[in-house]
Amino acid sequence: MSRVRRPLTPWAFLAPYAAAVVLLVVLPAVLNVGYAFTDHTGLTRDPRFVGLANVRRLLADGFLLDSLRASLFHLALAVPVRLLAAVGLGLLLAAPRPGGRWFRTAVYLPTVIPDVALAVLFLWVLNPLYGPLNQLLRLVGHPGYTWLADPTTARLGVVLMLAFPIGEGFIVVLAARRMLDGRLYEAAALEGCGPFGQLRRITLPLLAPVLVLLAVRDTILTLQVNFVPAYVLTDGRPANATLYLPVYVFDQIFEFSGFAYGSTITILLTVVTAAVITGLLIMLRRWRVLR
Amino acid sequence: MSDARGVLRLESLSRSYGPVKALDGVDLEVRAGEMITLVGPSGSGKSTILRLIAGLDRPDHGRVYVDGADVARVPPHRRSVAMVFQDYALFPHLTVRGNLLFGLRVRRVPRAEADRRARAAAERLGIADLLDRHPDQMSGGQRQRVALARALLREPSVYLLDEPLASLDAPLRFATRADLLTLHRELRTTTIHVTHDQQEAMTLGDRVVVLAAGRVRQVGPPQQVYDEPADTFVAGFLGSPPMNLVPGGGVLGGTPDETLGVRPEDLALAPEGPVAVTVEAVEALGSEAVLLTRCADGTRLTVRTGPRPGVGPGDPVRLRADRIHRFDTATGLRR
Repeated sequence: MSRVRRPLTPWAFLAPYAAAVVLLVVLPAVLNVGYAFTDHTGLTRDPRFVGLANVRRLLADGFLLDSLRASLFHLALAVPVRLLAAVGLGLLLAAPRPGGRWFRTAVYLPTVIPDVALAVLFLWVLNPLYGPLNQLLRLVGHPGYTWLADPTTARLGVVLMLAFPIGEGFIVVLAARRMLDGRLYEAAALEGCGPFGQLRRITLPLLAPVLVLLAVRDTILTLQVNFVPAYVLTDGRPANATLYLPVYVFDQIFEFSGFAYGSTITILLTVVTAAVITGLLIMLRRWRVLR
Repeated sequence: MSDARGVLRLESLSRSYGPVKALDGVDLEVRAGEMITLVGPSGSGKSTILRLIAGLDRPDHGRVYVDGADVARVPPHRRSVAMVFQDYALFPHLTVRGNLLFGLRVRRVPRAEADRRARAAAERLGIADLLDRHPDQMSGGQRQRVALARALLREPSVYLLDEPLASLDAPLRFATRADLLTLHRELRTTTIHVTHDQQEAMTLGDRVVVLAAGRVRQVGPPQQVYDEPADTFVAGFLGSPPMNLVPGGGVLGGTPDETLGVRPEDLALAPEGPVAVTVEAVEALGSEAVLLTRCADGTRLTVRTGPRPGVGPGDPVRLRADRIHRFDTATGLRR
C-alpha cells in the first residue's frame, strides 16, 4: 500500500511570502526585542547587554510621557473622526444616485495621494495668513488660528489631515452596505421605521462586524501613520504636542543614536496598541455589539 | 367606513420601469375576507401589484383603494396592509422575538403589551419555542412562520403574500399550503397571494387572477378559469401538461379562423375514436401517465391517462376528445 503523498504545491506558493514575512517582519521584531536589552547605538557593532536599563530609562523619561499623551490624544480623536467619515460617506454614497461615481472618486482620491504630498498640501491649508481654512473662518467672522504654532490646534491639524485618506474604510463600508438585503428596509418601512430608525435598527447592527474590524484596523494604523504629518507639519512641536510615539522612536534611533532605547519604545507602542484593542473588544462585548 | 374594511380596489393601475411596462391598466376588486391568487409567468407584474398596494412603489397612473379609501398619499406603514416577502426578509441580527417585536417597538407599543401580543402570534403559528433563535438557526418552514407571525401582529385589513411557499421543498410546501388555508379561514382577512405555481393557484384562493405582460387576462374561481379559459394564453398557462391547442380545420375539426383546445385529460384512448395518432413517448408518473403523440399531419397531442396505459412508443392508437374549447385565432379570445 502506497502512502498518500501530500502535494507540495500549496507550500511552494506560500514559500516566497513566508520567507518575506520571516525576513522582514519576524526576524526584525525578534532582533528588536533583543536590542531593547542592550546599549546598541546603531553606529557600532558591539552592543552590550544592559538588562532592564532601557526600561528604567523609559519610566523616568519626561519626553516619553509627552509622547504617550500626544499619541493617545491623537488616537482618541482620529479613530472616531476617521470612522465617522468613512461610515458616513460610505452609507451616504452607497445608494445609486446621479453623479455618485464622481463623489465616490472624490472621497477615495486623497488616499492615493502620497502622505508627504498631502502633508505639504496641509502646510498650505493650515497657513495662518493665506491658508484657505483661516480664510473660511474669517468669512464667518472668526479671526482664525495659528494652527501649527499652538499645541492643541497643531494636534487638531494633524487629525484634520488624516481625516481625508479614508479610502479603504470607505470602500469596505460601501461594499458591506450594498450587500445588505433591500427587502429588510422595505419590511422596516412597512412597520413605520423611518430612515434614522433604519440606520439605528438595521444598518448599524448588521454592519457591526465590519465596523469593529475597521475600528481595530484604524487603531493600529492611527498610532503609526501620524509620523509623516507630524514630521512634515510640525516636527513634533510645538511643546512636544505632536511628538507622537513613532516620531519619538525616529528621533531616538536616527537623531540621538539611541537604537536600543528606540527599540524599547517600539515595544511600548505595540503594548499600547494591544491594550487599546483589548479594551475596545471588551467594551464591545459588554455592549453586546457582536452576536 | 367600517363596511369597507378589508375591501381592496385597484383602478387602471399602470407602472413602467424604463421602457418595460410592468403593469398596464390593471382593474381588480377584492371583496372583504376574500383570498385572491395572482398567477402568471415571471415578469407578468404580480409582485409589482403587491408593491403598489403596500406603498413600496408608486403607480404611474391609477389608484389603489384600501378599506374604501384612496391610499395614494398614505405612507406604507399607515396603510392597513402587511406583507410577507418571498425570502421572508427577517432581520438576521434579531432573534425571532426581536423580529416579532420590531414593528411593535417602532410603534411604541408598551413593553408588556408588545410581549403578550408577540407571544400570542408565535403560539398561533406554533413557533413559541423558537423565540430565542436567530433566523439562521431555523429551517425554511420555521422562518416562513416567523414572517407570517410578524405580518399577523400588524392586524391589517389586507395580507399581501409574495410567493410565500416558493422557497420551501415540495412536501413542506404541501403541508404549509394547508396551514395557510386554515389560517385564512380562521382570520377571514382579505389576502392577496402571488405565485407562479399553478397548483397553488388552483388550491389556494377563492378566485384566481391570471396576469400576463402587465394585464389581467382572466379573473374567476379557479375551477371556472380552468374549465373556461378566457383566451389561449390562460388555456396554455393553467394546467400541467398544458392544453393542446390545434389550428381549426385540422385533426379536431372546426373552421380555419378558430383555434381548438383540448386538455390532456379530456383526450381518451378509444378504439373507435376519430383521431388517429402515433405514440412518441410515454411518461409514467406513478399515479398517471402522459402520452406524447403525433398525428399524421404533424400535430402533437398530449394525452393524460391512468397508470400503465398498455401502449409504447411507435404504437398507433385512436383518441376521443371529450371537451373542446374554441378560440378566435385572430384575437385568441374564447368563442
